[in-house]
Amino acid sequence: MATHIPGLLEEKLRAGITSSKVLVVGAGGIGCELLKDLVLAGFEDIEVIDLDTIDVSNLNRQFLFQKKHVGKSKAEVAKESALRFNPRASITAHHDSIIKSTYGMSFYQKFDLVMNALDNRSARNHVNRMCLAADIPLVESGTAGYLGQVTVIKKGVTECYECQPKPSQKTYPGCTIRNTPSEPIHCIVWAKHLFNQLFGEADPDEDVSPDAADPEQVGQAGQAALGDDKDHNTHTDGNVTRVSTRAWAKSHQYQAKKLFTKLFTEDIHYLLTMDKLWEKRRKPTPLLWDSLPSDGDDNDNNDGLIEDQRPWSVERCRQVFETAVNNLYNRVKSEEKEKEDTEDDVSLTWDKDDPDSMDFVTSCANIRAHIFNIPQKTRFDVKSMAGAIIPAIATTNAIIAGVIVLEAMKLLTEDARGYWWAAPSTPPRPKCTVCAPRPELTVKLDTRHTTIRTLDQKILRGSINMAAPDVEIMDGKGTIVISSEEGETECNMGKTLQELGIVDGTRLNCDDFLQSYTLVVNIVHCEKLDEGTEFTILGNSEEIKKAQEEEAEVAAEVEQNRKQKISNDGTKTADGGETSDEMVVAEVEDDDLVCLEDVEDEVEEQEVEEEEEEESRKRRSDDIVGGETQPLKKLKSGGGSSSSSGSGSGDSSDVIEEVMLD
Amino acid sequence: MESSGGTPSCELTDKAKKYDRQLRLWGDHGQVALESGHVCLINASASGTETLKSLVLPGLGSVTIIDDTKVTPQDVGNNFFVESESVGSARGEVTLRLLLELNPEVRGTFVEQPLTEILDNQPDFFTPFSCVVATCLPECTLLTLSKVLWEAKIPLVVVRTYGMIGYLRVQMEEHTVVESHPDNEMPDLRLDRPFPALQKYIDGLDLDSMDHREHSHVPYVVILYKVRQRWIQEHGAAPASYKERKAFAEMVREGMRQKESGSGDTFEENFEEGIKAVNTALLPTTIPSGVQSILNEASSITPSPTTKPFWIMARALHEFITSEGRGALPVRGTIPDMTADSEKYIKVQNLYREQAAQDADWVLRRVQEHSQQLGPRKVISSLESSVKTFCKNAHALRVIKGKSIAEEYKGSINLSEIGSHLENPDSELVWYVMLRAVDQFQSEFRAYPGYFQDQVETDIVRLKVCVNKLLADWGCGPIIKDDFIHEMCRYGAAEVHSVAAYMGGCAAQEVIKVVTGQYVPVNHTHIYSAITATSATFSL
Repeated sequence: MATHIPGLLEEKLRAGITSSKVLVVGAGGIGCELLKDLVLAGFEDIEVIDLDTIDVSNLNRQFLFQKKHVGKSKAEVAKESALRFNPRASITAHHDSIIKSTYGMSFYQKFDLVMNALDNRSARNHVNRMCLAADIPLVESGTAGYLGQVTVIKKGVTECYECQPKPSQKTYPGCTIRNTPSEPIHCIVWAKHLFNQLFGEADPDEDVSPDAADPEQVGQAGQAALGDDKDHNTHTDGNVTRVSTRAWAKSHQYQAKKLFTKLFTEDIHYLLTMDKLWEKRRKPTPLLWDSLPSDGDDNDNNDGLIEDQRPWSVERCRQVFETAVNNLYNRVKSEEKEKEDTEDDVSLTWDKDDPDSMDFVTSCANIRAHIFNIPQKTRFDVKSMAGAIIPAIATTNAIIAGVIVLEAMKLLTEDARGYWWAAPSTPPRPKCTVCAPRPELTVKLDTRHTTIRTLDQKILRGSINMAAPDVEIMDGKGTIVISSEEGETECNMGKTLQELGIVDGTRLNCDDFLQSYTLVVNIVHCEKLDEGTEFTILGNSEEIKKAQEEEAEVAAEVEQNRKQKISNDGTKTADGGETSDEMVVAEVEDDDLVCLEDVEDEVEEQEVEEEEEEESRKRRSDDIVGGETQPLKKLKSGGGSSSSSGSGSGDSSDVIEEVMLD
Repeated sequence: MESSGGTPSCELTDKAKKYDRQLRLWGDHGQVALESGHVCLINASASGTETLKSLVLPGLGSVTIIDDTKVTPQDVGNNFFVESESVGSARGEVTLRLLLELNPEVRGTFVEQPLTEILDNQPDFFTPFSCVVATCLPECTLLTLSKVLWEAKIPLVVVRTYGMIGYLRVQMEEHTVVESHPDNEMPDLRLDRPFPALQKYIDGLDLDSMDHREHSHVPYVVILYKVRQRWIQEHGAAPASYKERKAFAEMVREGMRQKESGSGDTFEENFEEGIKAVNTALLPTTIPSGVQSILNEASSITPSPTTKPFWIMARALHEFITSEGRGALPVRGTIPDMTADSEKYIKVQNLYREQAAQDADWVLRRVQEHSQQLGPRKVISSLESSVKTFCKNAHALRVIKGKSIAEEYKGSINLSEIGSHLENPDSELVWYVMLRAVDQFQSEFRAYPGYFQDQVETDIVRLKVCVNKLLADWGCGPIIKDDFIHEMCRYGAAEVHSVAAYMGGCAAQEVIKVVTGQYVPVNHTHIYSAITATSATFSL
């Protein structure tokens, strides 16, 4: 389909493009643009995979989708639409998660090239490992608002996606969420957990009731406080559990007032009995359904704010809570009616784009915030924080997709002498915890309290992004503590590491068959972790991180001084700072196993498009190699690192090109 | 569904849902501006349609395509918005139809008349447009268009894909930006010049007499203010150097209470935050020099009924600073999140907010007075919120004074800029020179170099002559390597789709900046090299 202007693309490259088979992971913002660009570049054999379905909020940029497609498979529709425009290409669509054993090594080995158009780190890590294992070149990409990046990854030649430590994604310890929230995000996470407890799939790690086993309180829970309440049972594990939150709510027909009183009056009273917690903290104030403050409701419509950006009073929150609970309960009931024959509970999935879900979480989070003297957030902000919303626009995706294809072309002709040769800018980091020959890392935790479940779910899967880990103790006996075979080691899950003989200095051999990834985890026992952390992953990255922090400090100071002098011409990035922390945080997301959109959670910056600033002009200084024959061959190109402008960056050396639109 | 009397929160309209991810960048008012925008595209080439695609998707109001060509097989090869069966049909019509499918809310028209005819016969044709995007124009037509639009004060964005090279040029006589969205915004806390209400509130707080809980829930702005007072008492002046700020931070730390009596452990989150904020919070309240020069200009303008609201507001702002504001900009009114109890945080937040409202109100009254003096004129819609936004962004106002393409080509090009960049043989500016040279080549030989396969060798020699002539005119030596000339001749002016995709994205973003009046557009030439994956911006 593509124009082959004689001479413009070398014969060998043209042949390479036509005969190659490529995989596009993700059919969201970047994915749509990418399919278009690939087809027009002459790629004829393309497979695309995405587990997501189309949402209205995709339509402002994912141009292969239209309103009539909402709810359908992204991969399928993207394929159909692309073919409608260009029927000659062959596209295979998979409406599926890439993190599945179906897509093992042999799947990857079919391709000459893999292109990531993902929106979350765990899928990126996974594809990175699969491509390393199968030795297939990978073009990694991402955008966030006006920022974007494209990186070429080739095993043994460049850094891999995980060579450089990324800022860790925060998880919050149960105690902070359940007993002592101190930031708005704690309340939002709690409210999302509550949603799942009441209407969705309950997860034991997401309990929302007071936790009497809070280490700070050391066991002296105030059972007396609610001793007469038959709904509470104090279990040995300290959880004040309701028969099951859901069953309890159901037995009360989800009466909003009843729920409110339980959550925001009684539970808070209960927390107050755990007096140790409040020695240094400000005590929470229980709220009563009938007497809530209603001040602060701003009815002034002249403030230029959209409805979502106005703060709500607590009374308003209660009203919204009531309506949301009623609507959600009705939805559960009507769905239950539909499938009467099954025993299973209907479960709703929390969705940031569903008004009732958003109302529920916003109102609950704000009521709780009020109780704990935490600043409240508007619905707009809560949506960003709870839904891990990262701004996304068509233009940045268009630019990034263009660069991906140009880099793909370079990779396909890599062995052609000197021509478009992708020079490795930064070799793999020898101590990388993924692509090194024998990767190791260190985890600091309290072996007396940390359970095997935490090791499996939160550390190996959640943080290290293994898909199906097998873990054995390297004690010469090869004691298996976690097996990827279902049910085999279920009995271990509730035990602590110590109970299974995992103590300070224990080495664990963690093997992921799917990812062909083996990692040795060194356990360091530590009884005094930073407040609010259950474990710390040290890796070899720690030293690097430290060095970076120091560097940043110096840079900040320099920047400071510069600002004072020049002060007015810093129009660089858009939208960064404040929210980025929260975005990372909000990845408590449940459904992000694969590629929903185009969004990148951490963005190294380097701009392509920039105004005015002299020093930002120069990006790279690859030499033009001398000689007279066929001109382009002498223009060296490809994966060299772009020099960074200004502060920041410098860390992403195999980033071929990053775009900043603004 | 039953609703038990609770107020449902806003049900989002479909539109708000659809545009949610971009509203987070330019806001509702930015979206409104975009939706009232009308953009004209000249030539639905690969770069042209890629640009338009990224404008139709976010919901630009309407588009007009001017294109007098028919779809060719080459278009089918590099333009996603044509179909193979449409070869021979009007290109403007075909591309418009497919582009509008992407967003039913966008309206569009196409014009098949040649641009040259429009320029000759319909001088007012371009008046309705908020921005014109031009692609694939020969130099002489581009210069005429540039002149017409410059005089009509209509922004022009030229986007061009030439082989592996991209070119983007933004022509605007003057562009004012209120919401420039600066990176690394410093908070406006006024610790060095507290307004009376703030001062009164903070002076009324006594940290020492607070109990433990209250002490660890005082917003850090209070802490820093108090420590600053003490520092000045001891040192006579506020901490200015890095060293002094370090010592200051230490002083803040000393105020922290011990965690447990006798344990020596200190940790109070609000104090920790304060220590982190020392560098930014202690910056003296100043007027950035760029803003100062805008204010100076505003004060020298004699307002007339045609003066843009921006300048009237800037004038009023200038008056504020010289009187009410006592040398400072209006208080911005937003403060960072701080660890604090709700009561104190909200109190402090309201103090800043109220002062900001008060300052903005002063400016608003001045603006109204000026407007009245100018006699009956178009009332600025939502004047109040415009002034509020203006004051809130006063520290980041931007004005771009552009240069016309005609001036750049025929008048005074910035020779020192060219000279200094060409000292580096690999500067992207080399590609600018090459593009200028191929245009001269085209005007002379009626075809682009390398367009005819059998003439490549001759074209190389001829193009070299063009390049050297251009460089000689600018007083530069013949310093361009032959490689570049060969490379240009290889392209034969063809558009590579991936490069067009890239440039279309860039151009669309510039148009959005222009139409929404937010963020700072490129001033004025941007060059992208897909060979080296590098780009640069020049003011020539």
